[in-house]
Amino acid sequence: MANTTRRRQIATRLVTAAALTIAVVATSGQHVGAQGRGGQGAQGGGLLGRVGRGNPEDALKSSDADKRPYNKKDFNGLWARNPQAYGLPPCPECGDPGPWPGYGYHGTPPPRTPEGEKRFQANKPGRGLELDSEDAKRRTDLDIGMRRAVLPAFGNDPEGRCEPLGLARLIAFSGGGATMEMTHSQANDRILQRFEWTWDNREIWLDGRRIPNIDDYLPRYNGYSTARWDGDTLVVTSTGFDDRQWLDQYGYPISEKAVLEERWERPSPNRLRVQMTLTDPALYTAPWKSSVKVWTLIPKEKMSVSGWSGILEDRCVPSDESLFNQFRDHAAGLKK
Amino acid sequence: MERIFRPVVVAAGIVMTVATLASAHHGSAISYDTSHLWTTWATVTSFNYQNPHPTMTFDRTTKEGQVEHWVSELLTNPSVLVRAGWTRGRSIEALKPGTRVKLYLGTSRAGGLSGIVMKIENEMGESIVGDRGETKAVDLDGVPQGLQPSGKDKLPGQSTGQ
Repeated sequence: MANTTRRRQIATRLVTAAALTIAVVATSGQHVGAQGRGGQGAQGGGLLGRVGRGNPEDALKSSDADKRPYNKKDFNGLWARNPQAYGLPPCPECGDPGPWPGYGYHGTPPPRTPEGEKRFQANKPGRGLELDSEDAKRRTDLDIGMRRAVLPAFGNDPEGRCEPLGLARLIAFSGGGATMEMTHSQANDRILQRFEWTWDNREIWLDGRRIPNIDDYLPRYNGYSTARWDGDTLVVTSTGFDDRQWLDQYGYPISEKAVLEERWERPSPNRLRVQMTLTDPALYTAPWKSSVKVWTLIPKEKMSVSGWSGILEDRCVPSDESLFNQFRDHAAGLKK
Repeated sequence: MERIFRPVVVAAGIVMTVATLASAHHGSAISYDTSHLWTTWATVTSFNYQNPHPTMTFDRTTKEGQVEHWVSELLTNPSVLVRAGWTRGRSIEALKPGTRVKLYLGTSRAGGLSGIVMKIENEMGESIVGDRGETKAVDLDGVPQGLQPSGKDKLPGQSTGQ
């Protein structure tokens, strides 16, 4: 009995070691660089070399070896994009495959309207390839939005003031490179989606209600969301966004009357994925499809700290941020 | 981009063994030269384990006996640290004021006594408050101001600062 237990322990360790090794290979080059909260930091070479890896289509490949039967319409659970951090096999398709310098909405940004361009230029992101750097000049395959990063102290990312991230940015960021998980709690008439970083949430209504006339309501950072099932795909439609938010960390704008459609699927027992389409004629001349984002189901026992499972209350607290920004400003030479 | 540091032969390279530990909130990484890391022994003077990233102040002594007071942020954020076993209590204990540590630093691109801490080792040579695996850096213990930029580099966004 003792020998059997010992053999199992050794086998478990070997599997874990193999998984970690795979994780190293799978993530090196993709997420080498400063990332986390907001994903990858701006790049200037060295540590911050190219982080993108693979092609966007790779997000549709599944590395989930679990063949057990499951309910494709059950999205309950804890979902993350870095399962290796929990001792689970890595999920290459979860890492925002593509040429991107970090997490984001991605896809191919359509041309902006004059108003869209004006608002785009007013936003000064601190992430992406560094403005005027050799990398930024060379990577013309990337939209200019990802090649204009400034020092955070000189930028105006609303995240740096602990303002709410907004729906698309929460989704695009959730689990993007670090451990920013989300949970789904599902009932017949609604799904409650919660996001670890900034401790935010939104309700997706399945009770047949219609999207409100946004002129009758206050805009909200996460908008108003209704949904229907299209086969096994959950189709969520949201609008009524507070337009102070950025679409993602690169400072793309979004307007109040934008309509964001999300198509959520559970293609295998341990994977959840979404693709978004933004229709925002005030700012963009055509609808904009995001890249596909993929998450892994994390067993409750794997996502626990001191025996307490679930997402962390990972708030962005203004007083914390204020202290941090003193250090940020030191780094920019604004404070001695 | 023009190389910003003095011509110091630096064999700096990073091997990220667990890439998901890499973290930089608010694009912090762009503020520091993380491609030219250096090490120094230091004494912790304060440590804050809080969002968006822990911050630390420390003193280091030059070969001439001058004490420098540095400010820094840690690359890894609390939510990652806690899941790696570096809870608040354990981290604060490991970095309580007066603790001697070896730091792997990237100096701020604006220069001065400001940096980002990529890795920390205790006096036993163990990685503490996160483990970034093999992080290579040049030893500049006791060298005044460690590694500083030449001042020729244009900081992105400086002219558009708000």
